[in-house]
Amino acid sequence: MKYKVCIIGGGIIGTAIAYFLGKMGETSVAVFEKRYLSSGATGRCGGGIRQQWSTEANVRLAMRSVQFFERFKEEVGMDIEYRQGGYLLLSYSEEEAQQFEKNVKMQREQGLEVEILSPKMVKEKYPYINTEGVVLATFCPTDGHANPHKATFGYAKAAEKMGIEIYTHTEVNEIDVENGKVKGIQTSKGYFECDVLVNAAGAWSREVGKMAGVELPTESYRHQIFVTEPLKYFFPFMAISFSKNFYIRQALHGQFIMGQGDKDEKPGINENVTFKFEKEMAKKMTKIFPFLENVRILRHWSGEYNMSPDAQPILGKSNEVENFYYAVGFSGHGFMLAPAVGEAIAEMILLGKPVHSDISYLDKDRFKKGIVQEKNVV
Amino acid sequence: MPRRVAKHPILGDLEETNEIEFEFEGQKLKAFKGDTIASALIDNGLDIFGFTDSGKPRGFFCAIGKCSSCLVIVNGVPNIRACITLVEDGMKVERQKGKGNPVW
Amino acid sequence: MVKKVQALVIGAGPAGLCGSIAMAESGVEVLVVDEGIKPGGQLPKQTHKFFGHEGFFASIRGFEIGDKLYKRAIDLKVKFKMKTTVSGIYEDGIVLYDRDKEEAYDIKADFILIATGASERFISFKKNYLPGVYGAGAVQTLMNQYRVLPGKDFLIVGAGNIGLIVAYQLLQAGANVKAIVEASDKVGGYLVHANKVKKMGVPILLRHTIVEAIGEDKVRGAVISEVDEKFRPIKGTEKELVVDNICLAVGLQPSVELAAQARAKIEYIPELGGYVPYRDENMKTSVDNVYIAGDIASIEEASTAMIEGYIAGYNIAQKVTGKDLSEKIEKMKIELEEFRRGPFSLKVRRGLKKFGINYPEGGYRTEQQKDDGPAGKLRVKIECPQNIPCNPCETSCPTGAISVGGNINGIPHVNYDKCIGCGVCVMKCPGLAIFLIQEQEKHSIVGIPYEFELPEAQERVLLLNKNGEIVGEGEVEKVVKNNKGKTHIVFLKIPKGLENEVRHFSKIKLEDDEIVCRCEEITKSQIEEAINEGFTDFEELRRYLRISMGPCGGRVCRLQTLSIISMKTGIPISELESGRFRPPSIPISFKAIIRGDEKDEI
Repeated sequence: MKYKVCIIGGGIIGTAIAYFLGKMGETSVAVFEKRYLSSGATGRCGGGIRQQWSTEANVRLAMRSVQFFERFKEEVGMDIEYRQGGYLLLSYSEEEAQQFEKNVKMQREQGLEVEILSPKMVKEKYPYINTEGVVLATFCPTDGHANPHKATFGYAKAAEKMGIEIYTHTEVNEIDVENGKVKGIQTSKGYFECDVLVNAAGAWSREVGKMAGVELPTESYRHQIFVTEPLKYFFPFMAISFSKNFYIRQALHGQFIMGQGDKDEKPGINENVTFKFEKEMAKKMTKIFPFLENVRILRHWSGEYNMSPDAQPILGKSNEVENFYYAVGFSGHGFMLAPAVGEAIAEMILLGKPVHSDISYLDKDRFKKGIVQEKNVV
Repeated sequence: MPRRVAKHPILGDLEETNEIEFEFEGQKLKAFKGDTIASALIDNGLDIFGFTDSGKPRGFFCAIGKCSSCLVIVNGVPNIRACITLVEDGMKVERQKGKGNPVW
Repeated sequence: MVKKVQALVIGAGPAGLCGSIAMAESGVEVLVVDEGIKPGGQLPKQTHKFFGHEGFFASIRGFEIGDKLYKRAIDLKVKFKMKTTVSGIYEDGIVLYDRDKEEAYDIKADFILIATGASERFISFKKNYLPGVYGAGAVQTLMNQYRVLPGKDFLIVGAGNIGLIVAYQLLQAGANVKAIVEASDKVGGYLVHANKVKKMGVPILLRHTIVEAIGEDKVRGAVISEVDEKFRPIKGTEKELVVDNICLAVGLQPSVELAAQARAKIEYIPELGGYVPYRDENMKTSVDNVYIAGDIASIEEASTAMIEGYIAGYNIAQKVTGKDLSEKIEKMKIELEEFRRGPFSLKVRRGLKKFGINYPEGGYRTEQQKDDGPAGKLRVKIECPQNIPCNPCETSCPTGAISVGGNINGIPHVNYDKCIGCGVCVMKCPGLAIFLIQEQEKHSIVGIPYEFELPEAQERVLLLNKNGEIVGEGEVEKVVKNNKGKTHIVFLKIPKGLENEVRHFSKIKLEDDEIVCRCEEITKSQIEEAINEGFTDFEELRRYLRISMGPCGGRVCRLQTLSIISMKTGIPISELESGRFRPPSIPISFKAIIRGDEKDEI
C-alpha cells in the first residue's frame, strides 16, 4: 500500500494536518494511530483556546487558529461546542503583573483585543471569584474553549470524506529510511510506502523521531486534570494563573474542568493519577473559587504534555531525513494551535513552505541559538 | 379472575369453560366449572380457608387431599377437603373454625 | 354383594397405569382406583419434559404422558374409578370410598398392585401453619391443573428436582421466585434443572433454610438463615424476604399405609425414602398377591416407576393367566438395570441391596466433551455435565451425531463432522441443556431452547448467562417454533466471543426512547448512529457522546455500550478496549478532601 503522505498520530495535530492536506487537494494521505482517535494528550486536555501568549510567534499562531475555530462548524462540519467566553489571566505579584502588561502591549500590536482589569473590576464582573491577592488581570474576550474530542473527530471524519484513510489501532513499529529518505513505515497492519512522513505523535514524538534517526528534543510529562459534577452553566471563561499554577473552566455541559502543573513530575509516560493532586487542587481552588466547596469531583485522569525546551512547538522539516516532517513538542497547547499548525504543515508539504503563518522560527534547530522561554504556561 | 394463569407457554391459553357461582362466607363468588373449592377460593384472592382451634389461620397445603389443612364447611357440612372437592353452582362454603359443628 | 376383580391397582399414576396396561395386555381384568379427579397421579401437573429414553416417554411432558397412558389403558378395557379412595385393606376386603357418590363399599381382588406413590414431607419452622405455606406439589397442582397461582412472590425451600422444577414452572406461569433455599451444600436435583432457573436469575442459596414465616393471617414474608454443618440455623445470619408464598420441596415419603394394612412387611430404608414395603426384584412384597411399584417402593423417577409398574404387572399377569411372560419381564429388568447404573441411583442401589437386590453400576462415559467443534459452523453445544439416565439427544439426532457413550447414563458427545445444526436435539432435550452456536462475521448466533412467551424477530434483548447475569445486549434473529413439543428455539444475534456465555435472555422494556446512559440520557439509537458515523471505540463514543461520563462512572452503560459496539463491528467484547475506569469511584467533594487532609488520624 502506498500513500503520498503518511502521518503518525491520530490526535488533534495529525488529523488537522490530514484535513488541511485533503482540503488542498491531496487525498493520498493516511493517518496511523496506535490506539483510537484522541487517545493521547488531545483527549485528555482542558480544551482551552487562548491567544494571550508571551511570544509573538505563539500569539500569531493562536490568532490564526481562532479565526479557523470561528468557522470550524461550517467548514469542517462538526459542532465542537466552541465558545468564545474569554480567558481571564490572574496575576498575583507585581513582577507577574508587569510581565502581563508587557504581554498585552505585544498582543495588542498583533491586533489582539485584550483588557486589563483591576482586582475590583474582576470582583464586579465575577463576584464568585475571591480576588484576594490578585494584583492585576487580563482578559481576552475572543479566547475560549471547545471540545477537543469532537474537534479531532471533526477533522478525521471530514478527511475520511475526502478519501483520506485513518488507521486506528495501528502501531508504527519501524520507519524505513534509505539514503536519507523515508521509504515507508512498518506497522502492526503491514508495510506502507510513502513519499512524505509526518511525525505528529505527541507524547511519543521523540521515539518516533528516533525511528527515523531524527533527534527531537522533547520530553513528556504527566499533567493531571479532573472534572466535577455538572452545575448550571454560569462560568463562561477560562480562568488561569501561572504563579498560582491552575486553570479552570466550565464546560457547556456544566462540569468544571481544572488542573495544575507539577514541578516534581519526572519525564515519561504515566497515565495514573494521585490523590495529592486532588488535595492540592481542592485547597487552592476553593480558596479562589469558594463555590466549589460543595462540588464533587467526578473523574480524574492524566495526560502528557510533550514539552519542548522553550515550551513552544517544534515544527518543520528535517535536514537529516529529507522527507520527514514533524509537528511536536506542543507543551500543553497543541489543541488550540492545531488549525494554524495543520494548515502550515500541509502548505509546507504541498507548496514547499507555509503561506499563512511563518513557522520558520519554530524549527528544531532553533535551540542551537539559545532558548527564549514561553512564560505563559501552566 | 385475578389469579388465573390465562396464558401459558406450554399449556396454551385457558379454555373457556362455564362459569358458576358459589358462596363463600355469604359472599357471591365466581368459579370455573372443574375448579376445586381450593382453586376457586385462591383465584378469588382468598387464602384463608379457616381457623384452627387455637385460632390460627389455615389455608390449603398439599392440594391432593392428604394433609387436612384445607377443611371447610360445605352446605353446612364441616371437614370437607377443599382441595379435592369440586365447587358446584350454588354451593355454600364457609370457613371452618376449629372442629366442625355436628350437622343434623 | 361383594364384587371381585382379578387385579386391583391402587393409584393411577405412572406406575399404576403401566402396571394396569401390562396386565390388561395379557388379558387380565383390571380395576384402577384413584382418589384424584384426573388419572395420571402427579403427571397431569407436570408441564416439563421427562428424562429417560424415548421408549418411556422421554422428552414428552408429564401431563401428556398421563394422557397417553390413560388412553392406552382405556383402549385395553381397564376400568377406572376416580375420586375414590381406598380407605383400607382389611382382613375381609378392600374398602373403596367413592367421595363423589358418598359411598363406601368393599371388594375383593386376587392380586393387588399398590402404587400409591408418595406424599410431601413437611418441615417445622415458626408459623409454618400460615396460609401461603404450601407444598411444592400443591402449588403445581393449583397452577398447572387448575391454572390458578396462589401468589406472586415465592420462596422455595429445597433444591432437589421438585423444588427446581416447581420454580421453573412458577416462572412459566408468570410468578416471581425470589429464592430457592437449600440446607445442604449442593443442589440435590439435576444441574440442568438448576441451570434452567439460575439463568433466569433465581438465586439458589445453599446452606440456607427457612426459620420463620412472617404474617398474622397469611404469609407476608419469610425469614431465612444460614445453617451450620448440622443444619442448625446460625444466629445473626437471618434475612427477610418479602414473599406471599413459601413453597416446601423438602422431599417425599412413600405412602405405605395400605401396603402395611395388606400386611406387607415394612422396613425403614432411608435410602429408599424412609419406611418402604419389602419387595423382591419382581416387585412382590412379603405377601404373595400384593405387589408394589413406583414411589411407594423407592422415591425415584417417573421412568423407573413405569418400568416397575410393567414388571409388577407382567408378574401378576403371568400368575393370573399362566402365560409365560418371562421375556417381557426380563426386558423390563434390563431397562431398569440400565437406568439405575448412574450416580443419581446410588442411594436406590444401596437401599435395594438391603433387600438383597443387587444392581450393577457404571459402564457409561463420564468425561465431558472438550472441543466445541469447528468455529463458524452452525452446531450444537451440549451442556449436560452429570450422568443422568437420559438419551433423547442421541436417539432423536437424524444424522447420528450424538452419542451418550456406554449406557443411557453417559455424558453426550457430539461428532461435529456429522452435526448439521438442525436443532432437533435442542427441542428434545428435557434438561434444555443443548444450545446451537455459530460464529459469524460480525456477530455470533446462539440458539436457545425457550419455553416462555416468544419474542419477535429483530426484538432487542438483554443477554443473560447461566447465572442470569446480564452479559450484553443482542437481537432476536429468528424464532423456530415447535408447536408440538413446545420447546421452541430462539436464535439470538450476540456479540462475538459470548457463544458459550449467553444461555438466556430477557426482553428489554421498550420505552419511548431507550436510554443506555442514564446520567447523560444517551439513547441506544444515538450510540448506533455514532457507530455508523465511524466511532467504533468505547473511548471514542464516550468522548463523542459523553456516554459514561456521568456521575455513575459508566457502571450502568459501559457493558451495554460495548455490546452495541461488538454487535455492530463484529469485534468480540473481550477484544474491545473497555475504556478507562477513572477515579474517584464516587464523586467526592472539595470540602471532604480539605477536611480529610486536616485530620491526622484515621
